[in-house]
Amino acid sequence: MQLDKQQLPPEKFERVVIDNDSAERITKPSLSFWQDAWLRLRKNKAAIVSMVVLVLLVLMALVGPHLNGRSGDVQNLRHANLPPKIPGIEKLGIFNGVGELGGQKLDLYEVKKVDEYYWFGTDGLGRDLFTRLWEGTQISLLIAFIAALIDVVIGVAYGGISGYFGGRTDDVMQRVVEILIGIPTLIVVILMILIMEPGITAIIIAISITGWIGMSRIVRAQILKFKGQEFVLASRTLGASHNRIITKHLLPNILGIVIINTMFTIPSAIFFEAFLSFIGIGLQPPAASLGTLINDGYKVMEFQPYVLLFPALVISILMIAFNLIGDGLRDALDPKMKD
Amino acid sequence: MAEKLLEVKNLKQYFNAGKPSEVKAIDNISFDIYRGETFGLVGESGCGKSTTGRTIIRLYDATDGEVLYDGVSVHGNKSKAEVKSLNQKMQMIFQDPYASLNPRMKVLDIIAEGLDIHGLVKNAKERKQKVIELLETVGLNKEHAERYPHEFSGGQRQRIGIARALAVNPEFIIADEPISALDVSIQAQVVNLLRDLQKEKGLTYLFIAHDLSMVKYISDRIGVMYFGKLVEMATAEELYKNPMHPYTKSLLSAIPLPDPIYERSRVRTPYNPNDHKYGPDEKVEFREVTPDHFVLCSDKEFAQMKKEIK
Amino acid sequence: MEKILQVKDLELSFHTFAGEVKAIRGVSFDLKKGETLAIVGESGSGKSVTTKSIMRLLPESSSEFKNGQILFDNKDLTKLPERDMQKIRGKEISMIFQDPMTSLNPTMPIGKQVMEPILKHQKVSKAKAKEVTIELLKMVGIPNAEVRYKMYPHQFSGGQRQRIVIAIALACNPKVLIADEPTTALDVTIQAQILELMKDIQKKVDTSIIFITHDLGVVANVADRVAVMYGGRIVEVGTVDEIFYNPQHPYTWGLLSSMPSLDLEEERLYAIPGTPPDLLNPPVGDAFALRSEYALKIDLEQAPPMFQVSDTHYAATWLLHPNAPKVEPPASIIERMKTFPGSRYYETKGGNV
Repeated sequence: MQLDKQQLPPEKFERVVIDNDSAERITKPSLSFWQDAWLRLRKNKAAIVSMVVLVLLVLMALVGPHLNGRSGDVQNLRHANLPPKIPGIEKLGIFNGVGELGGQKLDLYEVKKVDEYYWFGTDGLGRDLFTRLWEGTQISLLIAFIAALIDVVIGVAYGGISGYFGGRTDDVMQRVVEILIGIPTLIVVILMILIMEPGITAIIIAISITGWIGMSRIVRAQILKFKGQEFVLASRTLGASHNRIITKHLLPNILGIVIINTMFTIPSAIFFEAFLSFIGIGLQPPAASLGTLINDGYKVMEFQPYVLLFPALVISILMIAFNLIGDGLRDALDPKMKD
Repeated sequence: MAEKLLEVKNLKQYFNAGKPSEVKAIDNISFDIYRGETFGLVGESGCGKSTTGRTIIRLYDATDGEVLYDGVSVHGNKSKAEVKSLNQKMQMIFQDPYASLNPRMKVLDIIAEGLDIHGLVKNAKERKQKVIELLETVGLNKEHAERYPHEFSGGQRQRIGIARALAVNPEFIIADEPISALDVSIQAQVVNLLRDLQKEKGLTYLFIAHDLSMVKYISDRIGVMYFGKLVEMATAEELYKNPMHPYTKSLLSAIPLPDPIYERSRVRTPYNPNDHKYGPDEKVEFREVTPDHFVLCSDKEFAQMKKEIK
Repeated sequence: MEKILQVKDLELSFHTFAGEVKAIRGVSFDLKKGETLAIVGESGSGKSVTTKSIMRLLPESSSEFKNGQILFDNKDLTKLPERDMQKIRGKEISMIFQDPMTSLNPTMPIGKQVMEPILKHQKVSKAKAKEVTIELLKMVGIPNAEVRYKMYPHQFSGGQRQRIVIAIALACNPKVLIADEPTTALDVTIQAQILELMKDIQKKVDTSIIFITHDLGVVANVADRVAVMYGGRIVEVGTVDEIFYNPQHPYTWGLLSSMPSLDLEEERLYAIPGTPPDLLNPPVGDAFALRSEYALKIDLEQAPPMFQVSDTHYAATWLLHPNAPKVEPPASIIERMKTFPGSRYYETKGGNV
């Protein structure tokens, strides 16, 4: 420990009066929870890339079916089983319309005398796979979003009521959930589809019928946690109504968790729809979803791998993107990760 | 004698009543709080002091007994208007400055919550004006109104909690361990603020804490709780000078003071509840040993204490 | 006396989303054999970070040693590889944490938990280790240790759990025991018992203790020497009597006078205004100046060096500079100084030492 050797002018040692306000001043800029979360999310490259990719995929799902003017369900047997051929890229030696025919590598477009370009090729009925892929993506996403929305609505309401009112209400509601969760989902789904006309509605109902349970449990646990916290007690001592406590204090605090959970519900709904369609109890032809497309491609995997390739790629990218966004949101929104 | 503001009569609060897991959090306690005074309630964790505060302010329904505020019973079926008026007269300050403010709300909205619920302001401008006044009362300023709780330090948050309680102009404030989560240098700020407010607005406090030195400083009278029972009650001075119940003695002897010389000679008196050796038919009651000094004791102990005084 | 541990000019930063938080800004102290050094300060003062950096318990990904050394056994702990550090942790230096509820593994019998470090760091047989374990449990005051040895943490009360945590920390006869607010989560009566136990044990096993707390009462009870930390620096260090009866730094004055005394009747408590500094942008000069009524011009420009008060007593405040004006400390501090021989307010007649 050193003693001060340097000479300091005496006027430096005048006493100063410090304004008390300066000690209370907060220098940091004011950020709301959501602004703060966005700052965190922005630093997560994987999540941001995933968001961009997801936006592109959704855009393509919306405009893709109209890009080349072909309809997804028009059959043209003369143009059946064409491999992909994309203008420009064809010169690189891929996607140039070359496929196998009778053990020989040939440009099938020349063989069949087709002048048009089928970007992702055609299937056995001569339907344009590019259009069908984006139609399928559209339907898959639609099913997933609606199913997730239903999950959120039922899950939050059910879990919220159960957790908030507690006691007997909670007991009864939780027993119901336990019974529901005891029934294997697949059996319920198969029964549902046997009774109902297979189609989008049936699949959505099938996915939602037990899908909300996970959400309701998470919401209930969160509500139980928050309703005992002192800020809720404080609001009660001020005489706040149930309505006010729920909308002002509880919901805003569980919103983060609900969003994160939804981000994981959507890909699992996409996957479940694909699975149902793949095993043949989902969408019925000629309607396309990623699941039916993969099913179609799987049948001709050895001869025309491109039929499987594109829908498989899209579904994989969707899954990864949703999961990465979900992870990013969790890091950004979960208060436990703070600082 | 001063006017009684709050009367607690034979209050009982059992959790899981009737089940094997029954917990007697409050076991038949009675005390009064006079208008304008600070009543301190001390005891160790789990002794029921916080439950007492929460039961008084109706966060819990009492199992048995009565709480009278200004002569009116607090519990039981009440009309909306009665509940509202009680909510306005009785307010609470909480222990944990981190959990007691909603992290998603701006300070402005947190403090204004009581104003909104009770319709105390007419428009947004008046609302903001009132909040700024309250912020200034607790030593903060208007720049703080637009910020979120996580931007404040513990002491500042606790002051925001006080401002929220003050917004509805209460007469009686239950302070539930308001300083135990704060740093030493900040504790004094909050305690001074509470005292200033009391003088200015004529508030009555129930001050719940486990830190006896602060309680002694802020309280006029103190009650000591042990396992759901009030074991001793006296004025602050009297309790520190002449503790009579062995538990109070043990508690006082355990406080370390910032005085090394005193610390080197301090002898702790341990307390063992079995030392009372109460017989099966002995009546253990809350008795007034000297004027205004009550002790939970048996007949025999009562006689003994009386003798020691003379 | 032999110096067991030396911390020299330690600087440490955390990298957070918001930027670099300078948690420790040049801390130096040493720990002598067999003594108890208390580090006092409020939350965010850097007291816990200092000891965690001695144990190297801070996340490597977000914390960074900027400067300085931690010398133990001729080794610089800031540069030691993790592998060697593991041999020191629990054996040479061990730690007691604040919360006895979370510092024990709830799924393991307590005996096993006490035995673990013995088996890990000492080459002894299981039977011998068990013997030592039971001895340790007895020493920390667990009655009926032979039977309770097999019990799980939830079967013990909070105070007993903290005793078990202490037994684990002592299992390998560490040279240094770091106690991070070991009694903060406990009730006063239990706290008193644990403090007695720690003092007792220190006499028996002659270990050095670093005791971190914010409770000055506890400090007065256990410490031989005291270091007061503020804003990531040590602002005053001295023997317990020097700190309590002849404090020099305005922050120490503030801390001591903001506690009510049990026998004095004070109208108003002395309160330090404002809030602790934000170490993301630490203030220039003396970090405490912004809250101090004794601030000098120079405090706002230049951080004060350590001024020597006595052989054992140093304080970092410009008030000790020969050019500084003489200031009057708060009344309760003058009361304290009256009893201390060597202070400028010492009264020979009034002292009842």
